[in-house]
Amino acid sequence: MNAADTARQALAYLVLLLVTFFICFPLIWALSTSLKPAKDVMATPPRVIPREVTLANYRNLITGKQQYFRADQSYVPTTAAPQHFTAWFGNSVVVSLGSTLISIVISTLAAYSITRFRYWGRRIVPYFSLLGYMIPSIILVFPLFLVMAEFRLTNSLWSLTFGYVSITLPFCMWLLWAFFRGIPIELEEAAMMDGAGRLRVFVDIVLPSAMPGIIAAAIFSMIVSWNDYLFARVFINSIENLPLTVGVMHFFEGVHVDWGLMMASAVLMTLPMALLFMLMQRHLVAGFGAGAVKG
Amino acid sequence: MTIRLEHICKHFGPVEVLKDIHLDFPERAFVTLVGPSGCGKTTLLRILAGLESASSGAIYHGTQKVSDLAPGKRDVAMVFQSYALYPHMNVFRNIAYGLKVRGTPKEETEQRVRDVARVLEIEHLLERKPKQLSGGQRQRVALGRAMVRKPWLFLMDEPLSNLDAKLRVTMRGELKRFHLRLETTTVYVTHDQLEAMTMSDKIAVMDHGVVQQYATPEEVYNRPANTFVAGFIGSPPMNFLDGAAIEDGKVTLDCGGARSSIAPSPLAGAARRNVLLGVRPQDLSVHDAAREHALPAEVSLVQLVGSEKLIDLNYGTNGRITAQVKAESPLAAGRKVWIGFDPARLHLFDPASGRNLALAENA
Repeated sequence: MNAADTARQALAYLVLLLVTFFICFPLIWALSTSLKPAKDVMATPPRVIPREVTLANYRNLITGKQQYFRADQSYVPTTAAPQHFTAWFGNSVVVSLGSTLISIVISTLAAYSITRFRYWGRRIVPYFSLLGYMIPSIILVFPLFLVMAEFRLTNSLWSLTFGYVSITLPFCMWLLWAFFRGIPIELEEAAMMDGAGRLRVFVDIVLPSAMPGIIAAAIFSMIVSWNDYLFARVFINSIENLPLTVGVMHFFEGVHVDWGLMMASAVLMTLPMALLFMLMQRHLVAGFGAGAVKG
Repeated sequence: MTIRLEHICKHFGPVEVLKDIHLDFPERAFVTLVGPSGCGKTTLLRILAGLESASSGAIYHGTQKVSDLAPGKRDVAMVFQSYALYPHMNVFRNIAYGLKVRGTPKEETEQRVRDVARVLEIEHLLERKPKQLSGGQRQRVALGRAMVRKPWLFLMDEPLSNLDAKLRVTMRGELKRFHLRLETTTVYVTHDQLEAMTMSDKIAVMDHGVVQQYATPEEVYNRPANTFVAGFIGSPPMNFLDGAAIEDGKVTLDCGGARSSIAPSPLAGAARRNVLLGVRPQDLSVHDAAREHALPAEVSLVQLVGSEKLIDLNYGTNGRITAQVKAESPLAAGRKVWIGFDPARLHLFDPASGRNLALAENA
């Protein structure tokens, strides 16, 4: 390797480092703040590495005990935080998993049907499915709210589950449609010759072949549901039914903001998605890649 | 039990792909459907498999009508052009899948898969995934998957076309050996007339959804039913000469003005009639000196193809013909020669219908 190559590579690493720092800094700062005792949170000069490490914020979040922050160590009376944190976390998990499950089951079957059966409209459906994403969610949320109200689902986790299905399903279907088109029909025909019926072929041959696509669609659906703020803000009005995103906002209490609790929540909120990403990363790339090339 | 196809027709919308196909496959025979792409051979195979249904007509296995059965219920096995190995299963599970679906006991499945793997010499590959295999190995796994079920009919859709030329020749021999060993009736689809000639007991030459001729390879080669079969089977392809006629018991050829007599007519009957003359390059002889019934010509191009030479010859004003001679032949471009015809090896066709006149006479 000559000098010019070395320099070019060094420059590339420098740029990558800067970008990585830019992306990671908020996360690092959140982690750092969440581990500081209340008195150090606003200390000047700010320190990335805490002088004193405490898990009090996490303990308080999980046990629901209120945080003290005054010099005399008295509690500030608040309406919400943090005793609902575990409930919010649970709500987020239930709603994300539920909507993902429904989205995946429906979109897998729909995409398979569109690629393998002949009926009117099957060619245009995948393209129309993306049309919804060109409309801002804020325009969709109020009509959806009226629909939920009609079915008496508002202020329940069902409203969120169905709401998220309505925004994730079309993209999941489009992604899987692109994916199924790349699965050679001969595979299914070979299985049929081997004596398998349509359903058996679907389960034994099609689903395993489509697994990267299904995983990619599931991750997309999980992220959208997990991160949603708007739908939860509009659909839910009782504090114990909130998902994390809206619930954590209750840590803004009038003039006081409990940054330690906020940051601990942020870390705990990020963790499941980060883990999911790490475990599924390989499939995610394969899934989106296959969809892009063959679609 | 013979397999009988009766009045099979198939159309996709307004396009007629198969027109009234009638075929009998004798038990244990290796039958090849051969023809150019789009002739309907693959569609016919898929109808046999049950993957496609015929618009009309029926298929019988012995006396049982099988054309209404779903593909899995026919107990027919198929080797696909792309092999269609299940990518997420290893070789063992690929071969065993058909048995598993049919609920074969585990020990028996194990035994049968191992037996087939031994015959195909892929025992050491059983744990591998299809993407870790070479083309030839995939081919064997696809065969194994078909063989393990012991079906009454093997269907093969151009199974050699994805292999390189050398491997294709090897696998051709192996397929034939497997067939001789298993004695399962086999229907093989190919566009390669050489594969058809070398492997088959009977060949069905198809074009435009019609079986042009259904006969043994010798018959198809030596007595082609019409100009399509004559031109499709054999390499290098048969010469077709316009301006030929039968008169006074002789075959004559128009050489631009003059007519040369080239051979005694193989057909009875004295009436003069125009014919389309077909003659294979191998059946021509090239001479240095004039002789009776020989056609004067000039060498225009010489191509060496290993043990033979292909000689392009011009005769008359604009007649052209290709002859195949031994590689040692000293002929060179520009040489004056005389072409000799073997009367027994001339094919005479009706210029309008393209039918072989010799066969028409017998019919």
